Amino acid sequence: MLQAINLHKKYKSKEVVRHINMRLATGESVGLLGPNGAGKSTTISMLSSLIMPTSGEVIWDEQSINKNPEALRKVLGVVPQEIALYPELSAKENLHFFGRIYGLKGKLLAKRTEEVLQKIGLTDRQNDIVKTFSGGMKRRLNIGAALLHKPSILIMDEPTVGIDPQSRAYILDTVKQLVEEGMTLLYTSHYMEEVELLCDKIYIMDQGEIIAYGTKEALKSLVSDNQTIELQAHLLSSEFEEVLQNKFPTATIRKVEQTLSISLPKNEEPLATIFALAASNDITITSAVIKIPSLEDVFLHLTGRALRD
Amino acid sequence: MLSSLIGKQMKMLLRNKQPLIILLVMPVVLITILSTALASVMNNEEEMAIQARLVLVDESSWEQEEASIRSFLAKQGLNGPALDGVINEFKRNDPIYILENSILVSEDVSNYIVLEKKQTVVLKEMRKDKEIDGILTIPSNFRSNYIKSAYFEDNQTPELELLLSQENEIRASIIQSIIDSWQTGYTKSLALSKAGIAPSVVIQSNQAVEKIEQVLEEGERKIPASMYYTVGMLVMFALYTPAFLSGFALQEVQWKVYDRLILAGIPATLYACSIFLTGTAVAVIQQAILLLFGRFVLGIDWIGLDAMLVIVLSYSLFVGGLSAFLTTIQLRTKSEGASTVFTGFVVSVFSFLGGSFFNIGDVSSLLANIGNFTPNGATMTAILSIQKGRELEVIWSHLPVLYAWLGLCVLLAIILFPKRGVTS
Repeated sequence: MLQAINLHKKYKSKEVVRHINMRLATGESVGLLGPNGAGKSTTISMLSSLIMPTSGEVIWDEQSINKNPEALRKVLGVVPQEIALYPELSAKENLHFFGRIYGLKGKLLAKRTEEVLQKIGLTDRQNDIVKTFSGGMKRRLNIGAALLHKPSILIMDEPTVGIDPQSRAYILDTVKQLVEEGMTLLYTSHYMEEVELLCDKIYIMDQGEIIAYGTKEALKSLVSDNQTIELQAHLLSSEFEEVLQNKFPTATIRKVEQTLSISLPKNEEPLATIFALAASNDITITSAVIKIPSLEDVFLHLTGRALRD
Repeated sequence: MLSSLIGKQMKMLLRNKQPLIILLVMPVVLITILSTALASVMNNEEEMAIQARLVLVDESSWEQEEASIRSFLAKQGLNGPALDGVINEFKRNDPIYILENSILVSEDVSNYIVLEKKQTVVLKEMRKDKEIDGILTIPSNFRSNYIKSAYFEDNQTPELELLLSQENEIRASIIQSIIDSWQTGYTKSLALSKAGIAPSVVIQSNQAVEKIEQVLEEGERKIPASMYYTVGMLVMFALYTPAFLSGFALQEVQWKVYDRLILAGIPATLYACSIFLTGTAVAVIQQAILLLFGRFVLGIDWIGLDAMLVIVLSYSLFVGGLSAFLTTIQLRTKSEGASTVFTGFVVSVFSFLGGSFFNIGDVSSLLANIGNFTPNGATMTAILSIQKGRELEVIWSHLPVLYAWLGLCVLLAIILFPKRGVTS
């Protein structure tokens, strides 16, 4: 288990990260969600032993990483936000080099390089110079370089920044596969949908602090226990609003132009009833959207700001 | 591990056009241009530089000796036209006249010897003058002794006094060779006279020049412009290697590749060591290529290869140490400032003082002395000394300068190199 205990990091007089407590159990996939500048990269740099916390401790396998970083480094793969590759070398040369510095050699190095190239889908481009690659291909190779030594923990810092949707989907599929294979994952992003897709547990950071953590469901429940249904229909009338209010007395109903917004507890399943009532009142519903709170709403609820502000 | 790091750094250098242009193409172009453009200037300077200064103190004179010679000849039974004939014959073959007015003033010899004639000198004073390489004193009875010896088998052989300075062996050897050649000439004349053959001027100035050139070949060779600038550019452009290597290291930090290395368990000291070794290897290769360019394209005959190997390896080690030090500074400051200052200012000043552009000693001996304390200046002086034909020992006075710089760079790199990582 990788554990952060009350981590603080100060640069000169500025405290960029404070009171960070995190737990990453074996096989768990954990998301670290927060806007740019929240302190995510500093936190993962401390967790991966690259920078010393000003105070607090990182524990791996009951050992302090502050004192003995090597214990963690052997089993750790880090995918930095930057493209940490040599642009003048080919994909294969990059992987060979990173494999060698992890102590791989000979047939084992060749085998691992081949496996990783296959996993990241770059086998047919292995001899091409990295600087000729697209952004998505570079990102994939950036991930591959962290997988050569078969780490058991993978820390990924915004691995899909600035790439096309196709490459992004490929990377997310690859990461999902790694998680399914039992990799312990710490995934940082400001794309909530990525974190929702990949992670069991989520830490939300803002302004250097963890402001909330838990499972997706637990975090969403922080916002509200209600669900909202937005209806669009022809010939919406105030009579129909009354019919609905009588049927669902606990609901809050508002009409904005041709959209009727019905907010009611999550445990109710009102759609069939609403459609039946509309039919009996000669109203044709053109669309019905059930809105469940997202992590974006959770962040908005916790900080008063949107995640991508 | 170390070989992987060095191999990767080499690949980065080879696959970037800028380092290849600056480390190899630019020096080759500059060597070609400078050695062609400044060949005439430099080659003349070199000839002037090996001119020996000879003071000729002629205590004899024909007027002074004629009476005693005539008296001697009369005693030998020569009178009237026979005596005048011998006197005229001797006047034509007067060895001192030939030395002063034919040999030493000939165009070929005057390139190597500056003659200063004096009637009398205080030898003690003259010897103190370090600019004088030789003093040739012709005694007052030289001609009469020569005639007695030449024509009448008198035992009194003509003698001269030649004092040579110990300050510059090469220049002293030039004077010695001229005088030897002249003496051989008039000794041959004597032999011809004794054999009954009419003596003629045997002493030829071109024989003397050949002797001088032999001396120069055996001693100090001329440094042509092509050789001077090959060495000058070689030591100057080797100083760009540290800038490139430290630049790559900074890129590694900025791209977070350095973090990957640290996470892979590469100790910071091993990384610094790889920079040191890469810098050394690149400097060796670069210098070897430029020396081979000099040999096969410019036709330079490099001599003293054992001493050259010592000095080139020592300078390469310094370049390696400087690479590690400059990398340390760049990783500490996380900026290219150190490299920019180094290539823009330090390399220019060091190259100027070290004499890469021209012989700084011609401008100021103080600046030349300071230049010999720069690593490139010390290396250049050592290589040129070897190429002048001096002994291997000449480089030992320059090596301490190089190793002091190397020690300083390595020490600072060890102390200052960031040990844990440089992520902020």
